[in-house]
Amino acid sequence: MSLKPTIGIETHIELNTNTKMFCRCAVVDTDEPNISLCPTCIGLPGALPVPNKKAIEFITLLALSTGCEITSKGMFHRKNYFYPDLPKNYQISQFDLPVGLNGELEIVIGENNDYIQIERVHMEEDTGKSSHSGSGRIESATSTALDFNRSGVPLVEIVTKPVISSSKQAVAYIEELRQLSIDLNISEGRLEKGNLRFDANISVAPEDSTELGTKVEIKNMNSLRSLERAIDYEIQRQSKALEGGVEIVQETRHWDENKEITSTMRSKEGSADYRYFSDPDLPNMFLSDEFIKEVETLMPLLPKVQREELMTTGLSLSQSNILSKSDDWIKKLYVKVFDQTKDSVSSYNWITGELQGQMRKANIDVLPKWFNDNYLSEIIELIKSNKISFTSAKIILNEILTTETTPSKVAEQKNLFQENDSEKISEMINQIIKENQDIVDRIKSGEDKLVGFLVGQLMKQSNGSVNPGMAKELLLKELEG
Amino acid sequence: MSNEFNIKNIAKLASINLSEEEQNSLSNDLSIILEHVNALSDLKLDSQQQEIFIHPLEKELELQEDEVVESLTHDEAISNAPESKDGKFVVPPSME
Repeated sequence: MSLKPTIGIETHIELNTNTKMFCRCAVVDTDEPNISLCPTCIGLPGALPVPNKKAIEFITLLALSTGCEITSKGMFHRKNYFYPDLPKNYQISQFDLPVGLNGELEIVIGENNDYIQIERVHMEEDTGKSSHSGSGRIESATSTALDFNRSGVPLVEIVTKPVISSSKQAVAYIEELRQLSIDLNISEGRLEKGNLRFDANISVAPEDSTELGTKVEIKNMNSLRSLERAIDYEIQRQSKALEGGVEIVQETRHWDENKEITSTMRSKEGSADYRYFSDPDLPNMFLSDEFIKEVETLMPLLPKVQREELMTTGLSLSQSNILSKSDDWIKKLYVKVFDQTKDSVSSYNWITGELQGQMRKANIDVLPKWFNDNYLSEIIELIKSNKISFTSAKIILNEILTTETTPSKVAEQKNLFQENDSEKISEMINQIIKENQDIVDRIKSGEDKLVGFLVGQLMKQSNGSVNPGMAKELLLKELEG
Repeated sequence: MSNEFNIKNIAKLASINLSEEEQNSLSNDLSIILEHVNALSDLKLDSQQQEIFIHPLEKELELQEDEVVESLTHDEAISNAPESKDGKFVVPPSME
């Protein structure tokens, strides 16, 4: 039986507002528990929620950037469930009138692009954090401890349609959404901090089936790596079950990072179990045309548009994609270096390869103050005009990253300028030939490989300053003559 | 509107334990409430004319600026907790 997987992803993005969604407590990033609380976010009786304007702007911006239709008449609902990290016993969320509906997001895998359809984008609030004491295993905990600093932090939930067909597409989708939220400046986009959290709904059905299989929700994937592995594991598990004639149960499963398996968490509650109803504390929310227009003025250059612009400089889709997902200073540096050199491939390779590689090696996060944008262009031009070798260029880059100096100064001081003067090179070649007469004789009797040895000698004696291509050419001429 | 419901499931969702006796008495109460609410289905509503946008308040939603206002101190926030440890609220073990 040939089977096909279908995946939908629900992502929660923590917005980087100063204050929480329905109160004015600060959003804090600290291990110190319960320091940013008020009656509203710990659910004390009588406390009333008032939405955060900035959060509404941010979700509208995200919905617009993904081409969603904006629900101009929206409302908040209560999603009722009982769990200690939710002190009101309901989460304020949106049910049938979310801020955004029917959008899409372009994803890139290698040299191919695709579009992932987005079903809805809605606003809600985060819960507190619970930790369980005891032996460490959740099942044997003796008590649960609660920190409500996160309670009420604005969350945007983005739900895709069930259109994703592989773990690779799922990863590309999250990478794109992460970059989008960073470029929109609505989130830090740090996965390790939980700024982006995702659940996957996975089902498997026969290839020719028009209906989807029973879906299973996977939770607790906190990195792109675990997203990829959890999806692959679950597709395999469900496929094996179906092939063996075992029925799939609709449930929520937990990804175990250490064992690399998914296991049953609970049978899935249906939406009716959450008893959604409109929150009587929050009047209807109207997003006026004026408000939407105002939000549109905040729209930055979206990753998709950035890629299109980068491709006009001569980069491939995959290269443009990598740059579009790089830090802002890297994108800006590329544009500058390309403008100066008009050489997209060299600019790209030097920035994403050698520069970032050396910075990582030297543990440098930001370019030093003295590092002028022109330096990379200068290095690229020096290589192109044969004034320095590629190896020398790497040495120069290393020097200007760690010392306040310029590429030409380093080249001068370290004697890295290549000798391109054929007369001077010929002089040196004659000297080498004189000193290595035995080698020359062996070359003449057929040991061609030894030419390399002589070029090596020449490079050594000249401290690498001779243009090696030119040296070999002249040496061969000399040997023939 | 159906009057059928599963009292055990409702108790589970509300995380409460109900004795047989309580289940019976609450089932009765809930049936009466549902019957009462069922009266709504007798209303003749023209869905073409009614805006499906019902909220008890007619007021437009007001939004507030994203500016921090200090509220409870840590000690105040935790002062009513029956149990706390290391600055956290402590409750009986509960997990999904």
